[in-house]
Amino acid sequence: MDFYIGLLQVIGVHSLLGLSAWCVLHTGQVSLAQGGFFAIGAYVAGMLTAMFGWPLGGALLVAALLSGVVAVAVGFPALRVKGLMLVVATTAFAEIVRLVFFNFKWQVQTAQGLVGPDGGLGFGGIRYFQSNAWSGVQVMLLIWTLVAGVMLLLWSLDRTRIGTLWRAVGEDEVAAQSAGISLTAAKVSAFGIGGAIAGLAGGLFSHNTTHIEHGNFTILLATFAIAYPILGGLKSLAGTLLAVVFIQGVLVEGLRFLGDWRSLLFGALILLVMLVRPGGLLGAPLRWPACLCRKNKTASCHAAMPAKGVSHA
Amino acid sequence: MLELRNVSRHFGGVKAVDGLDLNVRQGEILGLIGPNGSGKSTTVNLISGLYQPTAGQIVFQGEDISALPTHLRAQRGIARTFQNIRLFSQLSVWQNLWAARVERGSGWAGFKARWLAGADQGREQAEQILEFSGLQGKRDVLAGNLAFGEQRRLELARAAVSGAPLLLLDEPAAGMNAEEIEDLDQRIRALRDQGRTVVLIEHHMELVMGVCDRVAVLNFGRKIAEGRPEEVQNDEQVRAAYLGSDDNDELMNAALAA
Repeated sequence: MDFYIGLLQVIGVHSLLGLSAWCVLHTGQVSLAQGGFFAIGAYVAGMLTAMFGWPLGGALLVAALLSGVVAVAVGFPALRVKGLMLVVATTAFAEIVRLVFFNFKWQVQTAQGLVGPDGGLGFGGIRYFQSNAWSGVQVMLLIWTLVAGVMLLLWSLDRTRIGTLWRAVGEDEVAAQSAGISLTAAKVSAFGIGGAIAGLAGGLFSHNTTHIEHGNFTILLATFAIAYPILGGLKSLAGTLLAVVFIQGVLVEGLRFLGDWRSLLFGALILLVMLVRPGGLLGAPLRWPACLCRKNKTASCHAAMPAKGVSHA
Repeated sequence: MLELRNVSRHFGGVKAVDGLDLNVRQGEILGLIGPNGSGKSTTVNLISGLYQPTAGQIVFQGEDISALPTHLRAQRGIARTFQNIRLFSQLSVWQNLWAARVERGSGWAGFKARWLAGADQGREQAEQILEFSGLQGKRDVLAGNLAFGEQRRLELARAAVSGAPLLLLDEPAAGMNAEEIEDLDQRIRALRDQGRTVVLIEHHMELVMGVCDRVAVLNFGRKIAEGRPEEVQNDEQVRAAYLGSDDNDELMNAALAA
């Protein structure tokens, strides 16, 4: 039972991470900086509760705000680059954050002894939940309440102008500009909101694991973050959630019995999903790859042909 | 209303637009024609801000906008369409119009109108434009799934929805059949009757000669003629510029028909 509660906690934290990438991806930006914002949130929230005795709510709020502010600061220079160069630039940022925490030492004396980030040895003793006797189920419920809250927020945003403007910018920057949409406002706001969500996720992560270190925040984490919305499809928030369940629940945990072969099958399965559902799990209608289509021209094949009507002229 | 003063745009050694003076008057339909590569599209991109001029000034409603970024020019009231349709293809017809509405206002009210308003608020203008475009029945269809002619209509509507007084139409008739061009002709006139000023870049001579109040002719980035359609058609330099190009026959035919 504990295993499943733990799994639900992980899925919840990763859902928030995926939702943070969803925001940024909406404006057409592929950012690998989400792992960096996540790390900042994890360290800041952990330090506030473990070193300075803050309540969890305040710590999470400050962690989210600070990550959001850093994300806005990253968002401005990121405006100058697109596509692959943006991937490289945001990866560099995430690596800088990781290396800063690798070298970051600041410990204070508390009732539990010396507590705080200790460079490469990591940052242990983030025991807010344990000290306050939270059960695993309570932690899980807290995480999922926040997931629900963030999803509700993004769902509403998607139905107000800001969501439409994000999508418009993600679709066609030239057309968006020419229609009077400020690329700066759209992209930086997406970065900021996404960064704050990643920071919140990081704060939950550090309290849930009680020990964090720079190795938690490598490029692999950023890759997961961006994989969720891409795999789930940008059309709906539920797609991102489904992708997290699929990757964390089915692939990472469910295939554990395969040992080292797991990674291989992991990649193959994602490839298969993208082949059959290029618009994401909850994206466009089911589409069989062209090679299968030619053999049996069924109605579903035709119906599912991508309807890209833009470039006639 | 719009004035280009000695505007140039060079790409390396290529002078795409070279010392162009152009005056667009309030409420007119100005045709901008010329052979392929004569600098028509570059001119539109200079006016809308996608290119910065190498030299010269662009003045819109008394304000020098030469250095303004594209989105601010659009907010000042310059809207455009594209030679190759550029819709937000994964957004619905309605969302395309809604995204292009220019919301004004300051303080909290302005912030709310610009960023937070739901699709129900301030939809009157967009609703009218939707009716104008004749796409009411397709308001929730994804723009990318529309037929070609409908996409052209939606793009025109998207330019109009901002309420911009100046519309730049970059080859709106490209790929259209005779019936659709006739329809476009009516729409352009209707927009002018609403008080808009239109700059029409077009290869389809019949449309240009029929709908425009004045026509300016570009060749090699320079203006070689300007005047009423019939004046331009009989201009020696214009005929020489079109001679040997694909557009020549069309121009001749249009001239004969006129």
